[in-house]
Amino acid sequence: MEIYLYIALFAPLVGSLFAGLFGASPKTVITGIVTSGLLFTSFISSAILLSFVMSGHTVHVEMMTWMAAGDLYIPFGFVVDQVSVTMMMVVSIVSTVVHIYSIGYMDHDKGFNRFFSYLSAFVFSMMVLVMSDNFLGLFIGWEGVGLCSWLLIGFWYHKESATWAANEAFIMNRIADLAMLIGIFMMYWSLGSLQYDVVFANIGNIPVEVVTWIGIFLFIGAMGKSAQFPLHTWLADAMEGPTPVSALIHAATMVTAGVYLVVRANPIYDLIPEVGLFIASLGAFVAMFAATMALVNRDMKRIIAYSTLSQLGYMFVAAGLGAYWVALFHLMAHAFFKALLFLGAGNVMHAMHDELDPFKMGGLKKSMKWTWILMTLASVALAGIYPLAGFFSKDLILEVAFVEQHYILYTVLLLTAGLTAFYSFRLVALIFHGNERHLEHGIHPHEAYNFVLFAMAPLGILAVIAGMAFKTPYYEMVTQLLPAIEYHIHNHTVFWIMTIGTQLFVILAIAYAYKKYAKAVKVDEKVESGFFYQLLYNQYFIPKIYDEVFSKPYLKLSKLAWKEIDLKIVDATVDGIANVIYRTGEKTHTMQDGNLSSMLRWMVIGLVVLLVLAVAFTAGYNVVNLRAM
Amino acid sequence: MELTLNHYLVLSTILFAIGLIGVMRRKNLLMLFFATEILLNAVNIGFAAISHYRGDYTGQMFAFFIIAIAASEVAVGLGLLIVWYKRTGKIDLDQMTSMRG
Amino acid sequence: MQEHILSILIFFPALAAMLGFVVHKDSARAYGITVAAIEFFLSLWLWHLYDPMTSGMQFMEMAPLIPVFGINYLVGIDGISLFIIILATFFTLIGIASLTETRRVKDMIITLLFLEMTMIGVFAALDAIVFYVFWELSLVPMLYIIGAWGGPLRIYASVKFFLYTFTGSLVMLVGMLFMAYFYYQATGQWSFSLLEWYRLILPVNFQMWLFAAFFLGFAIKVPMFPFHTWLPYAHGQAPTIGSVILAAILLKMGTYAFVRFSLPLFPDASVAFMFPIAILAVIMIVYAAMVAYAQEDIKQVVAYSSVSHMGVIILGIFALNVEGISGSVFLMIGHGVVSGALFLLVGVLYDRRHTKLISEFGGIASVMPRYATIFGIMMMASVGLPLTINFVGEFLSLLGFYKQSHAYTLVAGTAIIVGAIYMLSAYKKVFFGTVTKEENKNLKDVNRTELLGLIPLVIVAIWLGVYPKPVLEPINNSVEAIVQLMHDKAQTPEAQKRIPNLAETGTMNSAQEAH
Repeated sequence: MEIYLYIALFAPLVGSLFAGLFGASPKTVITGIVTSGLLFTSFISSAILLSFVMSGHTVHVEMMTWMAAGDLYIPFGFVVDQVSVTMMMVVSIVSTVVHIYSIGYMDHDKGFNRFFSYLSAFVFSMMVLVMSDNFLGLFIGWEGVGLCSWLLIGFWYHKESATWAANEAFIMNRIADLAMLIGIFMMYWSLGSLQYDVVFANIGNIPVEVVTWIGIFLFIGAMGKSAQFPLHTWLADAMEGPTPVSALIHAATMVTAGVYLVVRANPIYDLIPEVGLFIASLGAFVAMFAATMALVNRDMKRIIAYSTLSQLGYMFVAAGLGAYWVALFHLMAHAFFKALLFLGAGNVMHAMHDELDPFKMGGLKKSMKWTWILMTLASVALAGIYPLAGFFSKDLILEVAFVEQHYILYTVLLLTAGLTAFYSFRLVALIFHGNERHLEHGIHPHEAYNFVLFAMAPLGILAVIAGMAFKTPYYEMVTQLLPAIEYHIHNHTVFWIMTIGTQLFVILAIAYAYKKYAKAVKVDEKVESGFFYQLLYNQYFIPKIYDEVFSKPYLKLSKLAWKEIDLKIVDATVDGIANVIYRTGEKTHTMQDGNLSSMLRWMVIGLVVLLVLAVAFTAGYNVVNLRAM
Repeated sequence: MELTLNHYLVLSTILFAIGLIGVMRRKNLLMLFFATEILLNAVNIGFAAISHYRGDYTGQMFAFFIIAIAASEVAVGLGLLIVWYKRTGKIDLDQMTSMRG
Repeated sequence: MQEHILSILIFFPALAAMLGFVVHKDSARAYGITVAAIEFFLSLWLWHLYDPMTSGMQFMEMAPLIPVFGINYLVGIDGISLFIIILATFFTLIGIASLTETRRVKDMIITLLFLEMTMIGVFAALDAIVFYVFWELSLVPMLYIIGAWGGPLRIYASVKFFLYTFTGSLVMLVGMLFMAYFYYQATGQWSFSLLEWYRLILPVNFQMWLFAAFFLGFAIKVPMFPFHTWLPYAHGQAPTIGSVILAAILLKMGTYAFVRFSLPLFPDASVAFMFPIAILAVIMIVYAAMVAYAQEDIKQVVAYSSVSHMGVIILGIFALNVEGISGSVFLMIGHGVVSGALFLLVGVLYDRRHTKLISEFGGIASVMPRYATIFGIMMMASVGLPLTINFVGEFLSLLGFYKQSHAYTLVAGTAIIVGAIYMLSAYKKVFFGTVTKEENKNLKDVNRTELLGLIPLVIVAIWLGVYPKPVLEPINNSVEAIVQLMHDKAQTPEAQKRIPNLAETGTMNSAQEAH
């Protein structure tokens, strides 16, 4: 089985290096095909490993030593267990699809080869992240995906906004990474190891405050990667990258790494339920917070990004409440339909010549039938309508909150479910229904390549069946590792009221969205100039606040540090001392007036002074006791 | 009264002081040489006396060494003095200030 | 030959430099490359002969110089010095091979070879006087390089560099003389041998004074805040090759000397000064990173980034445990490779445009894609991305210091954030965006000579990031010996607590360690 592990892990790296060889040369389709093929190999290997893990085994290999100093020992070790194999499947499926899709999407781009090199490198990093058997190995992947995200967000590096967003994403993630490193340091000095099995076996033996701090710091790390408040602004800006990147990195895989970390570290979080509750509360807050921003936004990709943020909030609610398998299940289902949604948006963007404002589109269902169907499917799944994937995973989280008796969380999540349905279908309605507003701009849309649509089909199928078909086998497999808690509402009446109630609520939200946006779009001046609209439209003014409170003062302070402190204080002091010595020399050089007689007098004075000093300093001097070893 | 080491050292000190004053006060180059000789010989007395009282001949050897050095120094110095006198007709120290710093 | 390999390593370049005077001008370059290559392979052979499992000194050689005062020509290496020596020969080779200077090439090569001797001498010396002599001699060629090939302010910069470091070294020399005198008082014999000094246990107040004297010499060399201001001038005015050697090797002398002198000689003082120095190190890290962010000249960004990284090295050294010190010694190598490469890269741009102002560039990635890629890799290494050489060192250094103080480590850890800020924003301004300046539209990508210097550095930066073991293991073994020595010599209870006793704990049992 080890060979499959290595294939699954290294096939993307090989692909990346291969594509990298052609990095500077003009487009060669072969790079796209080879990388996609290698990812498919990786997917097959993951599937074989999945079937192996399903039969109750796990694979654990130690490839070689990485770092060893003092008592620290960190190998390149990889583990395929129930949790990591789930992630491997998600990553390999979505990335294979995205690679094939990208062959079509990046067709006319100059950086075609470079793109595939980066994209495969990302998959490799992600594989390292999920397969590693220790926290530092996870950190390699963690930073690796950060690097690839930087490369890919800033892929069109001639655009100022893209490179700015890339740097913002990298730096914000670094803030969280510092916290994660601190968590790792704590873990090492209190447990002596960073291997998952050792850490989890001994975590109960150390004081609970230490565990609490470890839990908090690791979660701050997760907050950065999963773009939780207050480190969330980078995700929306990251939409500057090519759309396949948004689908793969900023929807399906990388941003869910934070959830994966919390799920993976479940023995730690089990000991500190109060931190768990904080995670869940923050998750619920972010779910609502992001959904409200999505309501009014006019950028197709940003709407989907906020929706991702909101869904990540859901996952954290589940993970925080101890329902780790539910969180992981929603992660998986979400990856499928959200990637699909993004890829659909990519088709629309191509057809619309990179126009992102859905208010300038409309009626596209005529010319882009398949994209319309797929995106509607994905939106239905996202809204959580029976029997699509979202129903099984998202409503389960609502049930978790209800069963755990966190009714406030439940209410927030329920409301958010309504908002989710509304903004998803606002988008669908605006893009695919109503008048063909784009004709005014002289754009004549066309459907994407057939092979692109075929590549998207598996995601469409998964978005439909993932919930219904996978829930039971998945539960049986993954609970061998994660706590097996079933969340059932025992009172049948309550259960049915809740389920049907939620469904009705969601359907109403959808219907309202269609009613408002499917026909003609009326811009309500009064609403738009209102305070709340402006607040939401400007993302609660948070990016502006960050700019004013952090970025600009930091630059000012830096300039101050250089121009005022470094040049005018530190360096001036040094030069000042040198000048004093120099001036003293100038002043006293009259001593050397060339007259032998006066010079001799100075010499005698100097001699006397030295003699006095020598006597004064050695008078009370005793020989000290020194010993040699 | 027996002569002790201290007596020699006092003599040496007095001579050294005389020499020092000479070095500082004299304006005539020739007198300056005399003063230096006194300084050196003050030290010589000290060397020889300590050497005698400690029974270690290193000091006396040093004294001889100094005498030799002093002789050569005076020889060179007087040579220079004569050259200087031939050139300027004076040996006043206050006139020699060409090495002003 | 094996028993004299160190002497050969030290004096072969100097001898070759003398012979270099008679070599014809046109073949000077080939001559330099040959000599540097031979020297580099000799150092690799040294590594091959080195026994990584032994922690003590190897290849020791001794010849009396002034036996009465215990001054001997005493050289030897352990895991700590071995790799810095290899780094020095490596960079001299790369520096000469990718030399783009056209003025007085022969003089430059002779100077570099002479500099190589002094560098290896410093890292191999086990006698304080020999160490001091090489330490001071290394100033001369650097002074010449800056003063003769530098920019418009070269005289000011070189004099500042020389006088500043020289002043510090003089205080250090006084400290050395005192140290020898105390040794004389304790044993009745003069000795300047480091290994014999190691056996001396000094009273704590003496340690404090001596530590301070040595500290001044080392801190200026590192350079530590607030003694760092000579560095921006030196880098700003020095030619590319000068900056490369300065950043890659000469700065490491200071941190190396901390490990070689300050820690084992004055363990109690090291513990007492740990937090004051940690404060300086934290200031270095954050403050220098901020200043780097404000720079308008790309070379100054790299120069200040050096100061910032040296702060991490200092912090790791004063972690006083094996993890921290091993990490910081490894980071010395890492920072040498990465900052050396960055200076070479800046030089590539300077050769083409004769300016280093960031505002003169923009969109370079589209005209020089290979260059942008290599710069990007090195930038990521500098930022400390895992699987690059710097991460290993930075991680271990910070990990080590975390044992001593959580708060300081947290603040020092911002290195990974502020480092990303100045590096990424500088990279963005130079490489991203559209080409606005007409002169930049036809810049040539890196040529073969330049690649000759850069590719090996990229390989090393990644190789040692993925597989640091061959280097980290010997370092670790030698550091363990130093830490154990420090623990054995420690007198104050504070020091005994702070410096781990490796002999006792053996493999640390972690669960109890938490309390």
